[in-house]
Amino acid sequence: MKRREFVQHTFLVTGGILIAGNALAFQSKKKVPKLTILHTNDTHSNIDPFPSNHAKFPNMGGVSKRFELIQKIREEEEHVLVLDAGDIFQGTPYFNKFGGVLEMKLMTAMGYDAATMGNHDFDGGMDGFLKAQKFADFPFLCANYDFSNTILKDVTNANVIFQKGKIKVGIFGIGVELQGLVPEDKFGKTIYLDPIKTANEQASILKKKGCDLIICLSHLGFEYDTDKVSDRLLAQKTKNIHLILGGHTHTFLEKPVEEKNLDNQIVLINQVGWGGVQLGRLDFEIDKVIFAKKDLIIVK
Amino acid sequence: MTFKLVSIFLIGAGLWACSSVNTVVVHSTAVNMTNEQKTNQQIDSMIMPYKDSLSLEMNEVIANSATNFSVKRPNSNLGNWVADGIFVNQTKTVRLTKPIICLLNVGGIRSTINKGSVTIGDMFKLMPFDNEIVWVELPVSVIPEIEEYLKKSGGEPISNAILKNGKLIFNNWNENSSSFWVITSDYLMNGGDKMNFFTKKLSVNKTGTLMRDALITEARFQTVIEEDTTIRISF
Repeated sequence: MKRREFVQHTFLVTGGILIAGNALAFQSKKKVPKLTILHTNDTHSNIDPFPSNHAKFPNMGGVSKRFELIQKIREEEEHVLVLDAGDIFQGTPYFNKFGGVLEMKLMTAMGYDAATMGNHDFDGGMDGFLKAQKFADFPFLCANYDFSNTILKDVTNANVIFQKGKIKVGIFGIGVELQGLVPEDKFGKTIYLDPIKTANEQASILKKKGCDLIICLSHLGFEYDTDKVSDRLLAQKTKNIHLILGGHTHTFLEKPVEEKNLDNQIVLINQVGWGGVQLGRLDFEIDKVIFAKKDLIIVK
Repeated sequence: MTFKLVSIFLIGAGLWACSSVNTVVVHSTAVNMTNEQKTNQQIDSMIMPYKDSLSLEMNEVIANSATNFSVKRPNSNLGNWVADGIFVNQTKTVRLTKPIICLLNVGGIRSTINKGSVTIGDMFKLMPFDNEIVWVELPVSVIPEIEEYLKKSGGEPISNAILKNGKLIFNNWNENSSSFWVITSDYLMNGGDKMNFFTKKLSVNKTGTLMRDALITEARFQTVIEEDTTIRISF
């Protein structure tokens, strides 16, 4: 029997120039500001664990376990954000029968702070999404879906800012092109905005608003053989984003992947497969940087 | 704004050649949700009423399967069963004049049917998406595009026709007809899986019937689900 597995990796993030000093000060006994980011993607209505005869994930996943784990982490950590990168709906009869209402109630109970919409979150049509979303007590971030001519006008947000202790976190959402992926009658007059251009605008807005850490919740997909926009491409062609939490391609990553952005700075990309078989966890331990209000730059 | 002035070299683990910066550590872990993890009663009680109501419906046995069915390209017993099921469901009470086929996609069949009892829940696993059956009228001129598509994709579930040596052969071909019907899903008709030939449609009949519901009806009717292993796709 496998014990709970922890795949642990460490990255360093620099906080710009400060007075020359002990760079490893964070290792001292003094408690440094810390932010714990928990994330899921493509949970696909997997409320119960996978069945015991499942070929790949026997007994894995399940909202009850995820709730318990999140609760435990909340007891241990002061500043926690729980995020989801889309495709909450579709995959078990819970969605077919209850239209996503239970998924929203449970995510609210787990204390999700924000999510973005995946293509399957349109499967019940925009009216179906709206009915379920009424049970969600957290914002849906969709910066590159222009819903102004649809019933989802003013239902979603482009971005959200959280003040977590000393750390100001800006989060925005980027969705995948719906044409060809979702029947047209389900997304109606939604206008798809260029994901790279929109991401750059959003990151810039959040930076101007003084965010220390800028996160993109993306449902673009991790990478493609073609030139289709992916998280990797998004990372390369943007700036000011520190972390992309992705979905759509159901990619299991052993550790967050690094890309260099337009400013040649590192962007971390993470994704945790699908079905809720994993909960992603990133702990940012941030030293004096925050007090000095310098840019956060991730280095190896 | 300050990064360009910073030169940082990391030597070994955590040693800095240039220490003019303060550092931040990012730990990352992916926690596997195994059954060694504890569950939570509060959440379980939230799920319970939904789960109970689902179980009642999903556990109903609707047929018995004589064998194991699975889908693959170019031919499979499950592909044949699903395509035939949809075709029969749609045509048994209809008098056909135009040529007609049922054409689906391998990607839309999401599970297997296992030997033994078959439940409503199994049908939901097979067809989790709420796709509707549609009849699409296409001009005869589009047939080469369908042949080309099948060749490129490596085969899709088909009924009332076969693809032999890369050519589509209808069971009810009619020389005098300039168009034919394709029974398919709204997903494919609307551009799913890039079946672009559907953009040339002449007319559409929406049935209001979900693919899954049609298969449940047919499975109930069949009582015992038998396989048909006819080769329908060859290039």
